[in-house]
Amino acid sequence: MTIHVIYGTETGNAEMVADDLVEALEGDATVTARDLADFDPAEVAERDFVILVSSTYGEGELPNSAQPFFARLEAQAPDLSGLTFATFGLGDSFYETFNHGSRTLADKLRELGAIELGERGVHDASSGELPGEVAVEWLKGLLGAHGARIMAGEATAEAAS
Amino acid sequence: MTAPSIAIVGAGPSGCYLAQALRKQWAEARIDIFDRLPVPFGLVRYGVAPDHPGTKAVTRQFERLFERDGIGFHGNLTLGRDFTLDELREAYDVVALATGLAADRRLGIPGDDLPGVYGAGALTRRLNDHPDEQGMRPDLGRRAVIIGQGNVGIDVLRLLSKPEAAFEGSELSPEALAACRATPLARLDIVGRSSAAEAKCDAAMLRELGRLAGLSFHFHATLPAPESVEDQAVSLRLAAFHELAERHTESHTESNGCQIHFHFGWTPEAVLGEARVEAVRFHGGESGRETLELAADSLITAIGFAQHDPDLPGAPDAPRPDDQGRLAPGLYCTGWLRRGPRGTIPENRQDARAVAATIAADLVADRAERPLGRPGAAALPAAAIARATDFAGWKRIQAVEAAEAPAGRLCRRIPDLARLLEIAQATPVGGP
Ligand SMILES: Cc1cc2nc3c(=O)[nH]c(=O)nc-3n(C[C@H](O)[C@H](O)[C@H](O)COP(=O)(O)OP(=O)(O)OC[C@H]3O[C@@H](n4cnc5c(N)ncnc54)[C@H](O)[C@@H]3O)c2cc1C
Ligand SMILES: Cc1cc2nc3c(=O)[nH]c(=O)nc-3n(C[C@H](O)[C@H](O)[C@H](O)COP(=O)(O)O)c2cc1C
Repeated sequence: MTIHVIYGTETGNAEMVADDLVEALEGDATVTARDLADFDPAEVAERDFVILVSSTYGEGELPNSAQPFFARLEAQAPDLSGLTFATFGLGDSFYETFNHGSRTLADKLRELGAIELGERGVHDASSGELPGEVAVEWLKGLLGAHGARIMAGEATAEAAS
Repeated sequence: MTAPSIAIVGAGPSGCYLAQALRKQWAEARIDIFDRLPVPFGLVRYGVAPDHPGTKAVTRQFERLFERDGIGFHGNLTLGRDFTLDELREAYDVVALATGLAADRRLGIPGDDLPGVYGAGALTRRLNDHPDEQGMRPDLGRRAVIIGQGNVGIDVLRLLSKPEAAFEGSELSPEALAACRATPLARLDIVGRSSAAEAKCDAAMLRELGRLAGLSFHFHATLPAPESVEDQAVSLRLAAFHELAERHTESHTESNGCQIHFHFGWTPEAVLGEARVEAVRFHGGESGRETLELAADSLITAIGFAQHDPDLPGAPDAPRPDDQGRLAPGLYCTGWLRRGPRGTIPENRQDARAVAATIAADLVADRAERPLGRPGAAALPAAAIARATDFAGWKRIQAVEAAEAPAGRLCRRIPDLARLLEIAQATPVGGP
């Protein structure tokens, strides 16, 4: 089983968060980080897990690198019922549309049948906190609550060997 | 392929993004960033408004380039003063210029050099405590005119009119505020060449104005209905203008705060005055043939930026880059220096990544003609190396700025270059 950390970004903060999540997960699972611009949901196998990381731009819109992905989901409406995922959003509470981008993406995945685990994590650029640190804390909480289910692919493989 | 040695001049967003992209390309390459100041991050520190700390937070990402990814920072070194471009190209296999465009573009009309005319770049540097502008004591008087309705013009409008208490939680120093707002402004006119629909500012910037207490807004044109336009950004901008206009009619009672007047479709013609600015004349208006004369104690131009160094791209006789950022074999440019003074931080990331890809492709293609192996900073003039500051020096500055934060502020920027250098060059405790 693989954990795919996929990110939508404009200034690179979401990419940095994705790198930090990969680093935190390495050793426990096979993990990859990829820009949403180059990601096709068809690549995800049944037992895989997706961590979606995205910022917000404009008037609560998706960052540039997530837009083609979202458009593809809208146009093709693939069946994502095999997919489980969790969401971490980056935004700035200065904007009324705080963190709408990550919510839009998560809503879409759920609408297409995917199952979201845990609470959506959020980073607020105005908080002065490091995005990576907030994200890794969130990840700990997520794994604490749902780790067994997320790592199920791994655990089965271990039990078999 | 062995990794090249790479020098980047300019530690603003484009220089930092370029280093980041090149590090992903070559884990082992020696990559050094040079800046004329002992502090990094260019306009993120010295342009982005001090009351937008969220936008400045991108520096957390850049910091890790120096802290974790092995990128070198050599501050207090100016290209053209401490080393020449030729010396740098001798020392490094690849050189990339990311020095931005810092000079305020002038209006180019009679009177544009009268006392009382200020550039938005200089003014925002002053408000951000840039060492270069410490002598600047803008005398704005009671009435100021701003020319230019891009986001920079709106930043200036807000910073000059926002109630002082609303700067709580910002990085704006009380000294900078006092220097720029010696007398409270009674009226600000902001004038643009474009129509309201085509104004260059974002709706979010306008809505932010609408959230400020004590200001009143006046529109000297009929605003088109937001529903009448297809383009979403335009429609949102028009809606935001309407909200400001309606807010004025609703509140009605004139507060004692600043009156803000928006004018659209006017081209500046002359700055009038004997010894200093007294008025500004425009032509245009709805018919295109009208004249507008606005009384003013001062004028702030926010019409873009230009190159002040005659040898660098953007200057009339300087070499121009090709459309992929190449200036000469092994020499590149990126960011505002390459594209001109347009675009926000994200565009510099795209730009830097494209230039990094060009550099990587060229190194493969030119391998035979340009063997790698230049040693890097060690080959620069000894006097330059001796005066350089490093990233640890910046971290010491940052710690002092945080420790000295006045009440209600995130930090107190150190505006004095001598003090910045003293802290940056201090021998660290426990050091050699
Ligand atoms: C007032 C203002 C407000 C802005 N607000 C925003 C905003 O809110 N959001 C946003 O996304 N964008 C904003 N921008 C745009 C953003 O700042 C630019 O897109 C970006 O900074 C350009 O990056 P750059 O690296 O090309 O240049 P710069 O940021 O200008 O960096 C150039 C660097 O080169 C150094 N340098 C210059 N000459 C030399 C030399 N000879 N030797 C050594 N070093 C040198 C400088 O010290 C500087 O550190 C704003 C711009 C301005 C002017
Ligand atoms: C022009 C602009 C518009 C933004 N709009 C929003 C927004 O509507 N809501 C929000 O929560 N954050 C908004 N942000 C903040 C970003 O989402 C935040 O800075 C984030 O850390 C950027 O992450 P990235 O580097 O991965 O793109 C905006 C930022 C900019 C520069």
